[in-house]
Amino acid sequence: MGTVLTRLVRAEWAKLFSTRVWIGLLVGACVLSGAFAALFTAFAGNPDSGLPPLDSPEYGQLAFSLATNATVISVVLGIIGITQEYRHRTATPTFLATPQRGRVVIAKLLAYAVAGIGLAVVVCAVTTAVVLLYGNARGNAPDLSGDNLRVLAFAGLALVIYTVIGVGLGALLKNQVGAIVAALVYLFVVEPLLRSVPATAGAYKWLPGGALEAMTATFQGPDLLEQWQGALLLLGYGLAAAFLGTLLAVRRDVV
Amino acid sequence: MHGLTKTFGKVRAVDDLSFTVEPGQVTGFLGPNGAGKTTTLRMALGLITPDTGTATFNGVRYAGLPAPMRQVGAVLETAFHPARSGRDHLRVYCRATGLPVGRADEVLDQVGLGPAGRRRAGGYSLGMRQRLGLATALLGDPSVLVLDEPANGLDPEGIQWLRGFLRHLAHDQGRTVLVSSHLLSEVEQTADRVVIVGAGRLVRQGSLAELRAGSAGSVLVRSPQVAALADLLRGDGTRVELTDGAPDGVTVSGLTTDEVGRRAFAAGIELHELRSHTSGLEEVYFRLTAGQEQYAARTEQGAA
Ligand SMILES: Nc1ncnc2c1ncn2[C@@H]1O[C@H](COP(=O)(O)OP(=O)(O)O)[C@@H](O)[C@H]1O
Ligand SMILES: [Mg+2]
Repeated sequence: MGTVLTRLVRAEWAKLFSTRVWIGLLVGACVLSGAFAALFTAFAGNPDSGLPPLDSPEYGQLAFSLATNATVISVVLGIIGITQEYRHRTATPTFLATPQRGRVVIAKLLAYAVAGIGLAVVVCAVTTAVVLLYGNARGNAPDLSGDNLRVLAFAGLALVIYTVIGVGLGALLKNQVGAIVAALVYLFVVEPLLRSVPATAGAYKWLPGGALEAMTATFQGPDLLEQWQGALLLLGYGLAAAFLGTLLAVRRDVV
Repeated sequence: MHGLTKTFGKVRAVDDLSFTVEPGQVTGFLGPNGAGKTTTLRMALGLITPDTGTATFNGVRYAGLPAPMRQVGAVLETAFHPARSGRDHLRVYCRATGLPVGRADEVLDQVGLGPAGRRRAGGYSLGMRQRLGLATALLGDPSVLVLDEPANGLDPEGIQWLRGFLRHLAHDQGRTVLVSSHLLSEVEQTADRVVIVGAGRLVRQGSLAELRAGSAGSVLVRSPQVAALADLLRGDGTRVELTDGAPDGVTVSGLTTDEVGRRAFAAGIELHELRSHTSGLEEVYFRLTAGQEQYAARTEQGAA
């Protein structure tokens, strides 16, 4: 079983790296987080922007939390990882090679969790580089230590978990475009709305976005969980998505 | 396959279907479109869960085979990521099943796709896609091959190649081949046996020779005394009809040429022509499945 799973994880990586999709996603993630980091550094302390000044502790945590802007790419990476099998109908040869479909999905979850780690490391490095270099150029860069370092680590963890959530979501919805659109609408419309409407703001902290925000909490903002609670909650979402996705992929006919 | 049944909504795609495929032979799995061939094969391969019934390979369900790709190779449809090269596609399944990745190049050569292996599969012609599918099935060097409509969309040259290739796999290499088609002509030259389905049910199974024997032959006779001859031959189980376009000819069914000749000679009737006519296999297949196709179409509309 151990070796079977290793084989399957390797096969997933072979799939991932034999097309160029991953390059696009990686570049996109770096540009996204790097651009936000540059933008925030540029306007830090600017009274019109409402951003805290460069030398404040608030700014330090905010700057390193910007790596989480790439969570949308993580989700898409996970979604593509599984829905491409349905889109290009390779689910058939994949499940012919491994009729124990649960193993295939678990291998995908593992393979993409690791791919998510790779993505997170690069994104965190890019964010850090921009924050430090540009900050220094502007005269004052935050330290990469203490709370700041913890925020960066949690941001990286969030990127990994969002990749796993993407795999689970993809397994649930099967349709690639549908799953990506659903994820984008949820992340950029539904959650921000729930967060800002007073009636639902209380529930927001229990959503993935609320958990993410708790993990990389900056000082102002809505009512949130503790940092570690947020991490656990997000992990719970990841596992739930993985479990449901596995269950459905195993049960459904492949036609 | 034993007692397989599968219903999609109101459509009973496969209905209590049982048959056996003999080892070392090519078995043609025939039936009009919508007869349930694809559904049957997908159930056999563990991709669709049957409502009832089981399908086994040497007594073992597909999902229970210890190394399925090494025992059963299947081509169900051309499935590959268009941006991945044919070679990389094959290497993925080598990794997944623990086969050496070098197998990818071997099977590419085997199906004559060697030089195109490193190109993106999205740019392949239909024939090349079918070859890539076959190559995938052959990766594990399986003793059983299951192919669903492999000739679909192939040009005559591709079909010719496919026939030869299947014959080679079965007759020279001793593999068991189950190949589905809605056209008899596609399997007629390759298959040893056929299993014919219509509307999800078994219509007929047996060797091609048995199927041919089931085709009732008739005898064509020409004679200047055609009316007398017709009176003479007409009788129990014998049908005599005027032959179209030949005023002095009749078509006799139910008698052999020997018998017709003997009776005419005894009655002193002069014959100008006496020959047997066997209806082709195609006609037999058509007769066996003609009604089924309408039935299949009707149930489909009923569900819509
Ligand atoms: N996934 C499906 N959902 C609904 N109906 C289906 C599905 N697959 C096949 N059918 C129906 O089942 C019947 C048999 O289909 P199929 O097995 O594809 O036949 P064949 O391969 O012999 O052409 C058809 O009436 C078809 O419309
Ligand atoms: Mg079919």
